[in-house]
This record gives sequence, C-alpha cells and structure tokens, in this order.
Amino acid sequence: MSGRVPGGASDGSFWLLALSCLLAFCAAWCSRSPVARADAASPAPSGAPISSASGAAFTAEVLPARLERPPLRESDRPPGAVPDDHGPSLAIFPNQRIPLFFNHRRHVKELGLACTACHEKARTSHAASDSLLPSGARCDGCHGTDHRDLREVRPAASAPQGQCAFCHVGYSSAAGNRVATLLLPKPNLRFDHALHGARHIGCAQCHGAVENLELATRDQMPRMRGCLNCHQAPSPAAGRARSECRTCHLTDPTGRLQTTFSSGTLSPPRWLHDAGHGPDWTLRHQLVAGNDSRFCANCHSPKDCADCHDGRVRPRRVHPNDWLNLHPIASRQNQQNCTSCHREQSFCLSCHQRAGITLSGPFADSAQRGRFHPPKAEWTDGPRTPRHHAWEAERNISACVSCHVEHDCAICHATAARGGRGAGFPAGVGRGTDPHPLGFRSRCASALRQNARPCLVCHAPDDPNLLDCR
Amino acid sequence: MADKLTRTLLTGLWLAGALCVAVDARAYQSEIDATFDAQFYSLQSPYGSPLVQRRRYTQTLALNLYGLDSERKPLGPSLSFKSRLRLDTDFGQRPEERNPDSASYVPGLAEAPLDVMYAYLDGQRYLNGALSFRLGRQYVVDTLGFWSFDGVEVLLDTPAYFAVEVLLGFEQRGGLPMLSSSRFEAGGVSRGDRSGLTVGQSPSYLQESRLAPAYGFALESSGVSFLHSRLSYRKVINRDAVLVSPFLDSSGGLAYARGDRTSSERLGYSLGVNKAELGAALGSLVYDLYNRRVSQYDLVLDWYATGRAVVGAQVGYFLPTFDGDSIFNWFLHRGTTSATLHADLSLLSRVELAASGGVRIFATEGDPTTYARSFTAPDLTQSGRSYDALATLGGRYRFWDGSVALNTLAESGSAGHRYGGDLSLHKQFDGGYYDSLAVLSLYDWEDSLRADRRATSFSYVLGAGVAPSFLTFSRGRLGVEWEHTMNHLVGQRFRMLATLAFSVLR
Repeated sequence: MSGRVPGGASDGSFWLLALSCLLAFCAAWCSRSPVARADAASPAPSGAPISSASGAAFTAEVLPARLERPPLRESDRPPGAVPDDHGPSLAIFPNQRIPLFFNHRRHVKELGLACTACHEKARTSHAASDSLLPSGARCDGCHGTDHRDLREVRPAASAPQGQCAFCHVGYSSAAGNRVATLLLPKPNLRFDHALHGARHIGCAQCHGAVENLELATRDQMPRMRGCLNCHQAPSPAAGRARSECRTCHLTDPTGRLQTTFSSGTLSPPRWLHDAGHGPDWTLRHQLVAGNDSRFCANCHSPKDCADCHDGRVRPRRVHPNDWLNLHPIASRQNQQNCTSCHREQSFCLSCHQRAGITLSGPFADSAQRGRFHPPKAEWTDGPRTPRHHAWEAERNISACVSCHVEHDCAICHATAARGGRGAGFPAGVGRGTDPHPLGFRSRCASALRQNARPCLVCHAPDDPNLLDCR
Repeated sequence: MADKLTRTLLTGLWLAGALCVAVDARAYQSEIDATFDAQFYSLQSPYGSPLVQRRRYTQTLALNLYGLDSERKPLGPSLSFKSRLRLDTDFGQRPEERNPDSASYVPGLAEAPLDVMYAYLDGQRYLNGALSFRLGRQYVVDTLGFWSFDGVEVLLDTPAYFAVEVLLGFEQRGGLPMLSSSRFEAGGVSRGDRSGLTVGQSPSYLQESRLAPAYGFALESSGVSFLHSRLSYRKVINRDAVLVSPFLDSSGGLAYARGDRTSSERLGYSLGVNKAELGAALGSLVYDLYNRRVSQYDLVLDWYATGRAVVGAQVGYFLPTFDGDSIFNWFLHRGTTSATLHADLSLLSRVELAASGGVRIFATEGDPTTYARSFTAPDLTQSGRSYDALATLGGRYRFWDGSVALNTLAESGSAGHRYGGDLSLHKQFDGGYYDSLAVLSLYDWEDSLRADRRATSFSYVLGAGVAPSFLTFSRGRLGVEWEHTMNHLVGQRFRMLATLAFSVLR
C-alpha cells in the first residue's frame, strides 16, 4: 500500500491539482450547508449533535404575532438562570408553542388566584410527563365561555373576555371556529410535583416569579443550577434530595443517562465539574475524569474510555493525519500524553524493533542500516556537548525507553563488575558515567529495600556503593 | 495450533453465549455490542527498509446484562454484568518475527492476541445507596491513571459526604495465560512469556508467569456538586524470578532476582471546586512512594468570564516513573513543567472556539551549554533549561446534520517543531442513514536531532458510512475510510480502514 517515490517532488503538479479539486469539492459541500434549517425552529433529528448550551437558534419561542414579550427582569427568572443562558436545555425542555394570550400577573397578583387554582393537577402529579396545563373548561367559570365540548366551544355572549380571540392568538371567526394548536412537548426528565409540594417547596422555588409575567414561557422551566440548591445529598443520606444525576435525568435500559433526544443532545454544562465538552475537551478531560470518574460513568460506558485509552484504531481527535511521521517529535516534546494510552516497552518497542530503528532486535546492526541518532562523537562520547544523549535522556527518558531496552543502557552505565563500562572500567573514552540524579543517595536505601533488582543490574552485591545504601 | 484452537473455541463460546442470552428475553436487559475494524497500511523504516506491513483486523464483542437482580428503579440497587472481548490480529507479521530461533525474532510479538478487556459484575446502590461493588476484570480511572486489574472493588458511601473505596486483586498484565494485555503495567520493562527462549536470549525480556498482587484504597467526597476530592493509594507487587543483569557475572552465570518486590506504589490526590457564576479550580498531585518523588501535578484555574467565554490558566508537571524492576527510575532527573493560558468561546449558537498557548520547560542537571567546559568537575546544581513554545487553536461549527471542525497546533523548541492542522467535515444524509467524512491536513515538522527528517506533509481522508436499522440491530454502522498522505520522506502512503459496528439491546 505504500511506496517510496524518489522523484516524488516531480509529481507535485498532479497532487497540487488533486488538492485543488478536493478543496473545491469541500468548499462547495460546505457552502450548501443548510443554514436556513439550522436556524429554523424545528427540532433536531435524533442524534443531531446539538449541545444543551448551543440552542439559541431554537430558543426563539414561537410567540403569538400580536403578543409582545414583556420586559423580563432577571429576578423573575427561575433560580439558577443566568443572563444570556438561552433558557433551559433544549434536550430537557423541547421548544413549546403557546399561541395564547395569558396574563399571569393579572390572575395571580391582581385577582389573587393561587397557582394551583388553575394548575390543580400539580398537587397530584408524580411524573414530569403529566400535562399540568388547565383545560379550557377551567377558564369557563370566570370568562363565561363553554369549553366542555372542544368540538363545539361556545364563547360568552357579549363579554369581551369571553371571546375566543381574547385568549387564542390568531383566532378568526371566519376560519371555522378553529384555534391554533398548542404544542407543549413532555420534558425529558423525572419530576414529582406532588412530592415537592408535600415538602412545602413553593412553585417559585423552581419556576421563578411567574406572578410578575404575562405569558410564562419555556424560560420559566427550572434550571439544573436551581435544582442543585437543594439536591446536595449523597446516596445513602436520609431524604431523597440526592445529587445523583439519575434522580432527575432519564436513564436508558443500561442504567446510564439518556443523552440523545429528538430536541437535542444532553451534555454537561461547563460549571458542573468544569466538564463542558467543548472543542478542547479531549485535551483537558484528564483532570475531570481523574478527579471523579463516577461522574463520567453517568453517561459513559467503559467502552468509551477503552476506545481511545486501550484502543486499536487511531483516534483522529487525538492523533492527526500523518501521525506515523509526526509522532517521534511529538513524543519527545510532549511526553505527558503518550503514556496515558501507550506503554513504551510493549506498544512502542516491538513496532520500533520491527521497523529497524532500535539498538536491539532484528535490525540492530547500525553499520548496515545507518545511524538513527547524531554521530557517535556528539551523541555518546565525551565531553558532553549540548547534543549529547544524556541531555535528551534527562529531558525525556520516556522517548528513550520506547526504543531502548535496559541492556542498551547497562552496556555503558553498569559497573565493570557487572559487565558494563561504568565504575571500575578503565578511565578514558568509552567509560560510562554515573546516571543517577542529584539527591539519589538519600533515596536509595528505601528503593533498595523495596526492590533490589534494578540496583543489581548495574551493581554487584558487594559493590561499596550498594553497601552504602543498605 | 492448540493456542489458536483455544482462541477460536473461546470466541465461539462467547458469541454463542451472547446470542443465546440476547435471543432469550427475560426481565433483565441484554446487550450485544460488536465492532469489526480492518486496517491496511505500511510502515516504512527511516532507512527505506524494512517495510512493515500492517494488515490488522480487530474485533471486539461485548456482552452486557442489566437488571440482573430485580426490577430496576432509578435510585434503587442494580446488578449488571459487563464484558468485552477483543481479538487483535495483524496478518502483516512475518512468521519468523515470532520464531525465537530466527534472527528476525521480536520478543512479545503475537499474531492474534485475544484479551478480555473487561468482564465484571457491577453492583450499585445496595443498602440504601451505601454499598457498591465490582467483581472481575475492571478499569479504574483516577488521578493515578487509567488502570485495570482482576479482583474486587468495594465502595462504601456514607451519609457524611464521603465514600471509602477498597480494591484488591491482581494487575492486568500481558504474558500470562489470562487473555490479558500488557497495556496497564508500569512501564520501563519488557515482560512476557519466555518459554521457548534460552536463558541468555533477549535478556531484557523479563519472565512474566506469576500474578502481580495489587491493592489500594480511596477516600472521596460524595453528594455535593460543587466540590469533589479524592485521595487514592495503590500498590502493585512483582513476584516473578527475573534476570538481574543482561551480562554474565564473574562466575560466568546469570543472577536472578526473586521474591516479592514493589512494582509501583503511588499516592494521588485531586480536588475540584466549582462555582457556577465564577469559575472552577482543579488540581491533582501524584506522589510516587517507590521513587519518593512527586511524579505529577496539575493545577487549572478557570474563570467563567461570561456565559459564552471561559478563560483560564494551567500549570502541569510530569516526571515519568517506571516499574520497580526497571533501571530507568534511576535515570530520572528533573520533570517537565508546562504553563498555558487557554480560552473557550461560544460564538453565535453553534460555533465554539478553544485556544491555548504557553510554554513547556525542560530542566537538566547541569547546563548543557557550559557542561563540557568543566568536564572533570561539572556543576550539576546549575540547572539547564530549555523551552518549547506551544499553542493550539480549535473550532467547531455544528449544523443540524453535521459539523465542521478545525484543530491546529504549533509546537517549537529544542526538539524541533510541529506546525499544522486538520480541517474535518462530517455530514449526514437522509436523516443519518448515510454519513460522510472529509479531512484535510497540512503539517510541517522538523526534528532537531535529524535535520534530514524535516518535511511538509499533506494528507486527506475521505470516508463514508451507512447506518441501517437492519435485522434486529438497535444500532449499526458500516463505514470505510481512505487516507492518503504525502511528504518527501516517504512519498505516497495510503491507509484503508473498514469498520462495522452494531449493537443489539433487548
């Protein structure tokens, strides 16, 4: 599948042409991206990658044409709402369509009605999927209308507040006694209104100051931040205000949170464990997962971790194209990242041995194959110039270990009594030096006590240095 | 031959068992999830030969059972079984590479290793949420890293906002007849099954035949969303008799190290604090008790500047540590420190940007620029430092049936430089029934140690997939990718990837 092309550069024009075609194709493809659809208020299809925080295009409520949204004060919004938060998560509370004129302020503040006067089902509801909107018949007592038979609703005889158009946006008597459809999708959530009510948790504690508003919209739905004002208890704590995600979020048959809905995809907000899954999430997830992997396990299975950390197919999010050529420099620059997925002496070494770039293995004869590192005079011989291997080893020993086995190092660094060229070897060029770091002597006794094997690779049991450590 | 037969038999049994369970609907939920990946590409030695052919076929097969004990309630106890088996073959290997009598022998190479990635019984929220456990081969993810062991982990959650976790078992290691991988061993030593090797053959390839006991504990906070901390301790013990020196000793023999020895012993602590309107602070520290050195620390401070912007700073330190049997622990000098600033920005509703920039600091004992002048008595306390500048810029635009992503990086320093980026386009068609992928990449790099290896590389990837809801599969996707890379070092290189993934949940 691969072939070195000595005159590869001469083929440049062909590949330049190919590149141009490809770029043009991609540009054309991008340009026909359905922006209009993205901005439409229709819900995203299942699996569409819309994060909970990225739904501004969808948050524009479909409000009645003649209804002006009253100025909304931040203090009237639900607890946990913050300016510019685009409303609650679309994945949890899908878009609504409420083609009604309704004035909560008038009903609650001026007429003195309690919330449950209209939303009476909230007293007994145990599921978030219950519809708590009052039926039209609930309005009849005051408005003089007759909603008992929805196929034949009768307005009041003359009172203006009893006419259909008083409440129903866009109603026209010429249109066959029809009103616009109200769309109120079920929230993707667990919630027990009755239980919360029984604990004397008032409506405003979750929905904000609805009594100051006219039409209450989706924006009055609770925010997770608000829920967590109370839900701060460990699993075995008395009471049920547990902070476990599954207390409120729906779970799938595997027990993990359901994250994909027709209205969007659930993703943690940045403020929760600093776990926002932004474009740099791959780079920074380590600290979050290391601190609380049980939090991750709410949505992720072991497979999700293993696909990258113990995977066998190169993940593009981590390793870009032409990684085979790029990785030597990356491994020397960025040692922190390699070992989180790769083990040098099994994953790296065997491949390097097969490719013939190691000091040991089937292609170890550097006289035949050529030298991988800089010339011996610079790389291994003294004096130790800036291009000496010792500096590279100090800077990033992991890169050394991905090609070299301990035998390669012991050749020079082991003492003469152990067969190396270190202490006891005749002085001069070719004699290995002590590779231990400063302060090593203060730690060697503990190391020797716990595992003498690495010491004995280079030092004979009767080596005075070893005896000192004992 | 017998080995292959065993593998085939095991795979067959696993598959048969999985299918039986899936077909027979019970009160519990069963899930089969399988992936098949075939990759074809080549690795070219920097010297032109050898050319390593990679003809890889990897298959994983998962069998999961949920709700084994009772009717599931969201906050009630649950018992499940989760497992995944993997066959990882490379038909590009030459037989002589696995023959100890051949000059081409590569220790530890296997053509078709079969391993159990994980297989454990998972009990959650027993005793009113206080007791959870896992029994079997399982992953552990914490400050001490991504790790796997065979054994039991018990978690006791208390009403007092903390939990205690205890684990006991054996580290997952390669080389043992336990369908395991070497991925989770501490590094620095090459281990495996030495049967078939003579005593002096590949002396650095150490014998692995005995289980490596592992134990540990963790204390962590529980129940609050704005704070989480975890203290972890873990110790692993080596028990095999292994060659001590790769050279003959004075008596002409080879010495062995025997008995129980520390493989690794580490203590880690992490803390995360969040305040929704303000920001977050995350920190972690790992202390290697065997090396008696701090091997890693990280500190991240994030400020939620607005609802759409986060800016922050990170400082990290890393000192690689190795298995207790490895000599490389004693070559460790100074760690690597990195300091970066980063920013995340949400523009409009569907555009996200992330950028970071900073410096990585390598330190040495002695200054490389002056060391040679005082060869006889160098001043090792004079620290030498070298710096890499690094930056990343990433962006993502999501439209309703796809996304465009840009990931770029720039790193430059004493080791060389890497500049470049990937531009990726994913798009679905027909409501997700079909999907497509295009990636364009341009990178320029230079290796300061080998100036002749400087190159500019261009790559592109074209891919397509289909996700039909056929048969009884809950989810499935069949895809292919074609990757073409070109640079003046290797000319043209191609890679083909074919994937099939499906799952059945019933």
